[in-house]
Amino acid sequence: LTPAHHLSLPDVARLQSLLSQQFTDLESAYYSVLGLTKLGAAVSDHKQVCRFIKSQLDPTSIDSVFFAAEASQAISGCEIPVSNETRDILLAAVSEDSTMTQIHRAVSALSSLGLPVASQEVVGALTARINKEDNVMAITSALQTAARLSKQAELGGILEEIEDLTARLDDLGGIYLQFEEGLEATAMFVTAAYSLSDHVDMEPPLKEDQVIQLVNSIFSKKSWDSLAEAFSVASAAAALSNNRFHVPVFVSAQGPATVSHSQPTLQLLVTDVMSQPLASANVLVESAYAVASKSIILNQAPFTLNDGVFELNFMSKQPASGYYQFTIAVTGDSRLVANHVELKVKVSTEVAVANMDLSVVDKDQSIGTKTTRVDYPSKAKSSFTADSHQNFAMSFQLVDVNTGVELTPHQTFVRLHNQKTGQEVVFVAEPDSKNLYKFELDTAERKSEFDSISGTYSLYLIVGDATLENPILWNVADVVLKFVDEEAPATIQAKTLYVPKPEIQHLFREPEKKPPTVVSNTFTALVMSPFLLLLILWFKLGANISNFSFSPSTILFHVGHAAMLGLMYVYWTHLNMFQTLKYLAIIGGVTFLAGNRMLAQKAVKRYVS
Amino acid sequence: MSNSVISVISRFLEEYSSSTPNKLKVVDAYLLYILLTGALQFLYCLLVGTFPFNSFLSGFISCVGSFILAVCLRIQINPQNKGEFLSISPERAFADFLFAHTVLHLVVMNFIG
Repeated sequence: LTPAHHLSLPDVARLQSLLSQQFTDLESAYYSVLGLTKLGAAVSDHKQVCRFIKSQLDPTSIDSVFFAAEASQAISGCEIPVSNETRDILLAAVSEDSTMTQIHRAVSALSSLGLPVASQEVVGALTARINKEDNVMAITSALQTAARLSKQAELGGILEEIEDLTARLDDLGGIYLQFEEGLEATAMFVTAAYSLSDHVDMEPPLKEDQVIQLVNSIFSKKSWDSLAEAFSVASAAAALSNNRFHVPVFVSAQGPATVSHSQPTLQLLVTDVMSQPLASANVLVESAYAVASKSIILNQAPFTLNDGVFELNFMSKQPASGYYQFTIAVTGDSRLVANHVELKVKVSTEVAVANMDLSVVDKDQSIGTKTTRVDYPSKAKSSFTADSHQNFAMSFQLVDVNTGVELTPHQTFVRLHNQKTGQEVVFVAEPDSKNLYKFELDTAERKSEFDSISGTYSLYLIVGDATLENPILWNVADVVLKFVDEEAPATIQAKTLYVPKPEIQHLFREPEKKPPTVVSNTFTALVMSPFLLLLILWFKLGANISNFSFSPSTILFHVGHAAMLGLMYVYWTHLNMFQTLKYLAIIGGVTFLAGNRMLAQKAVKRYVS
Repeated sequence: MSNSVISVISRFLEEYSSSTPNKLKVVDAYLLYILLTGALQFLYCLLVGTFPFNSFLSGFISCVGSFILAVCLRIQINPQNKGEFLSISPERAFADFLFAHTVLHLVVMNFIG
């Protein structure tokens, strides 16, 4: 695993310009001054900054004193006067009742102002606060605070928090390692962890892969939202380029990783995460092998340092053109992390076309071939004619200009371009076992590709490859092709891929065909008619309601029943099932009770009679 | 042949009008009405088409369901069947008839669309 992201020189410049913005209050002054100092940049006009700090200082606020003290420490010749009251306020903040931030700022301010700090007391307060404030930023502040205390104090407990925080980092795809709280938390954690580890001279429990993943997370963001975020990134960059244990190395080729005869040296930039060159490092190629043939071409070859850039003259080994996989090791410092890098190097060359022979061969081979040799880049003087009885043939070799070795580039095409109609047909020329390229055009067989359009075609040879510096487009000759069954030349339709397509008219779902209203109305009347019949029949049978007793339950029943039928109608027009069931339950319940009473009364009457 | 059919039918009608109690005749008239309504709906469907198919189904099922429930009512209130329905008085039969109709109409209304 090697770092995918780091602060390139433009990134560092952008970070510096963000930190150099005019500051408006003490907090932004603190971020600006300290951020620039960590990047190794100069802070402009120390006197003015000092005046600003002194004017903005509020001696009763711990935060204000902290910002002023830290900022003034970073610029030369700025002394903040401290009163006894201020000192007392700062000392009083060191207790387990203050927040972690307050303890951190108070202790840092005391330390920067050169005032004595009771380290063991601070440790006690920090340990108590860690239990109460379990979040990442608080524990990071605790680590930072511990780094300002005396080495005699018991810092072991706080040191163990680094390991606990490391366990809380989220692994994203094996490439990034960061806190879910974000970039600032991750960057401040790295700063604090190395700050404390350097202070107690104990290697932090971060594995090499984890360090690289942290580097990826912190330096992948190239524009920063706030001054605090920029400051955290600058602090992390400074911590990772200058601590006693882990210094991640970033190896990249200067320009494209390509060598050729005109550019025989491979140049590497070996820097830390802030793009500062590691001048004291030794860079060597552990091994290099050709990707195509897997044969090893280099073994333990050192780079030489030339004006900040590491160089190796690869062409002196006379490699064949193609790709090579380099394994590069950076040594010289036990702190280096990610110091084994794989790099793919391309060796490019120039190609020349040799022995280009063009001929028209009769199919039955009764007439001898006439071969014409053409030299690049000139064109054959006379044009070649081929009709359906003849084949047009071409043979050539592609050689490396520098070594004379035969090459087989990826792209070797023969293009025939009809000058009148603009039609072009492209064929591939294939090499035989001796790397001799042959191309044969059978006029009769290929007439479909040409749409049987006879005429004069310009013949071009196209040679290209990623490893070739001089791709070739060569008008070799003109070929007159005569086809049998010539169709009327169809106008060549330019491929209409990118023109607007014909609009699709959406067909909405046709509503069903309804029968005419007359029919529906007729049948409605028809279906209602048996009801009339029923009434007539009932009348004839003598059905009557003479037995209707006007007791309340009867009336209630009938009213309720009528209401239920009415509810059915309302259900059809307005309601949904749930509402209907609700009303039905109410009306039905009433109707049921009334009906029960009514029917019971009827039954009694029937028994009595 | 047709003679005997006509005589059977006329005999049946005579027996029916004389021996059936009035109450049952009232129910029978109702049954005839339901039958005709259902038949006319079906005729419409055959002639004109099933366009709002759910409406047709709903109306037809309503007729069929009502017919069945009325037949049940008729069976239950027939004095000749009293032995089979000792625990169900005519009033109870009518109450059941009304309740079943409520459920049927709920379903029919839901489906009518």
